[in-house]
Amino acid sequence: MATQTQTVTGRLRGNRLRIVWYVLLIALLAIGAYGGYLRVTEGLRSTNLTSTVPWGAWVAFYIYFVGLSAGAFLVSTLSNVFEVEGMHEIEREALFVAVVSMIVALTFVMVDLGRMDRLWHPFAWRQPLSVLSWEVHAYALYVVVLSGELYFSMRGDLVATSETDDGLRGRIAGLLTLGRTDTSQEALETDRTWLKRLGIVGIPLAIVFVHGGTGNLFAVAAARSYWFSALFPVIFITSAVVSGMALIALLYVLRARLGGRTLDPALLERMAALFVGFVALDASLKVLEAFVGLYSLHPGDVETWLTIATGEMWWSFWLVMVGLGWVAPLVLLHRRDWRRRPTFVAAAGASVVLGVVGTRFNIVVPAQIEPALYGLPTGEYVPSTPEWLLSLGIVALGALLLTIGTELLPLVPRGETHD
Amino acid sequence: MYELETPRPATAVGRWSAMSADGPMPAVPETGSGSDETYDAMVDVEATDPREELEKTEYRTDLGIEMAEDARRVSNGALSSAAYWEKYDGDAAAEFGEAYRETPNPAVDCADGTIDDETAESLGCSVGTMASIAEGLEGSESESDGENGDDTRWGMVIDLQKCIGCESCTVACKAENRTPPGVSYNVVMEREEGEFPNVTRTNVPRPCMQCENPPCVQVCPVSATYKMDNGVVNIDYDRCIGCRYCMVACPYDARYFDFGENYDGEFEEAGELSSPEYGMDRGSREDGESPIGNVRKCNFCHHRLERGEEPACVETCVGDARYMGNLEDTDSEVNELASSSRAFQLKEKEGTDPNVYYLK
Repeated sequence: MATQTQTVTGRLRGNRLRIVWYVLLIALLAIGAYGGYLRVTEGLRSTNLTSTVPWGAWVAFYIYFVGLSAGAFLVSTLSNVFEVEGMHEIEREALFVAVVSMIVALTFVMVDLGRMDRLWHPFAWRQPLSVLSWEVHAYALYVVVLSGELYFSMRGDLVATSETDDGLRGRIAGLLTLGRTDTSQEALETDRTWLKRLGIVGIPLAIVFVHGGTGNLFAVAAARSYWFSALFPVIFITSAVVSGMALIALLYVLRARLGGRTLDPALLERMAALFVGFVALDASLKVLEAFVGLYSLHPGDVETWLTIATGEMWWSFWLVMVGLGWVAPLVLLHRRDWRRRPTFVAAAGASVVLGVVGTRFNIVVPAQIEPALYGLPTGEYVPSTPEWLLSLGIVALGALLLTIGTELLPLVPRGETHD
Repeated sequence: MYELETPRPATAVGRWSAMSADGPMPAVPETGSGSDETYDAMVDVEATDPREELEKTEYRTDLGIEMAEDARRVSNGALSSAAYWEKYDGDAAAEFGEAYRETPNPAVDCADGTIDDETAESLGCSVGTMASIAEGLEGSESESDGENGDDTRWGMVIDLQKCIGCESCTVACKAENRTPPGVSYNVVMEREEGEFPNVTRTNVPRPCMQCENPPCVQVCPVSATYKMDNGVVNIDYDRCIGCRYCMVACPYDARYFDFGENYDGEFEEAGELSSPEYGMDRGSREDGESPIGNVRKCNFCHHRLERGEEPACVETCVGDARYMGNLEDTDSEVNELASSSRAFQLKEKEGTDPNVYYLK
């Protein structure tokens, strides 16, 4: 009896929270739409970009979300490829986060193009030596692989949902089965096999092309010595994994708190330990990179590092990137019993999710501040209001997709729910 | 003069119009009370018998007549250009052979082509813009003159001892290319070195280097920027998606993004004309139309080079500090200067091998 009452009040509270959340998202989308309106009517004049600093906030967010996607995907492979025990619970959530992040990333790419109407040109004309051309194709393939994996991972539960649920959820699940409704052990086994195969294809795709490749975009630009290093794509991958793990850990705790799912402390600890290990690796590589650059005394490297550490945006390096991205998670998760505490793991996750935004901005912008030739104007860039508004809207779009997906899709394996 | 009425393969036009030029010379008509009939009559006097004219050529008369008649129907709208070319593609290919296949068909024009790309694909002849045909004609003319053969590599030499830093090149470039605010194909970088009284000041004009190994070309995802045979790095404004990767890759910051700003109100007729860059006339500058939203840069005033003129910055230079010419031609001034011990390129260690040389 008592449990029943608790569930009812819980549900009521949950409903109120849900309404507040949706209202917030819609408000953010409306704000974003205004930013989008300015972007469309004024073109890139609505930004603070210049010919000296041609890449800004939207490029930073684009690489941030590509990283988030690659990171979340790699977390999912821990379950379906490497078969790490207990990770199955978060596999689909990780895959879904990866898909949504890619959608968000590509939306940022689209709004950043000088000619949005020519978004399709890279598929009509190619340049076999262009890293960006390779990337565009890799992204498309990657989204296909992710969707395929999500399908094979969910199909059994989709069939079950379509059979038990008469509402919207059931109908959507029915459509998403794509007509394959066989739930025999054999069919499910086939799903699992294909899931693993796609995961195996996905790993090099995500590491080498999707994220290493995105790092390559910058690393091959020999004109900017701050980017021009082979370690750069590697750091891209490590910080991608860090941010992806952070978000998955955060979502895992949040979902448990809001949806009444019980947390598995062992899984939490495993995630937190991996997470903190990658934070340490990411930070070490970055320090190594900075050391080589500074030691060279090459003006391009030294000036860029000075811009980062002591320039106008010093706080985005010291407080956001170093503070939130590295120090906070290392402090919060350095003790074993702290790694078993959901609040600590969630706080560390949130901190890193924000901190890596700083990392991405500090990749894109500072390298463009110093002019390529002595005597040319020094760059100056802080995102404009429309840039922030539209960014907010695009992120809200991602959050909305994630929420709707969580509500309608069986992202938590059935039978493992504890309600 | 029916050769102006309708598009057709340039080779055929060339041969046919050459024939009609042998006919009667036009006289100055007396127009007392000009009614439509008088004008028509005047035209009739001038007109030659097409059948007679075509008989003089080695090509099929009936085909010529038929094509000309249908061409009239194209110009008055009774027949679509696409249908016209579908109808005659086979016959024309059989009749004119190689020449037909190799000559660009001007009916396909990038800006407002009269036939769509799909039909163009299916044609036996190659397709191109009016500009490309004009260039082809000029190329063949100059080739026969013995200058500017296919091994032209345009290069510029800038004598820093002669440059006085007046920026007339920057101004001339703005005027010639009608670049909007924030876009300046040419700039002059100033550098002061030393302490009083031993101070030197160097002015370094910076156009696009037209690198032999251009990093911008390497990174473009859609091949919108590419190196032409004559050494100039081109930008196809109709293909560029505005991702600005080339700007990030350029070691000379020589590329600019066209944000769509205008000098409205600052001088008369601002934005009403655009420069015929790369030989393409885009008319007035309109919001949302290329090159707005594209990346732009110096192209050695390619449109001027094509008509035998020096780039605007070279022509205007007060101190005569700039030289333009063919770097492949060992007799040229630029070749000689670029080989002198005073010559250097900007950022030589980048391996871009610019076609702009400076003299110390």
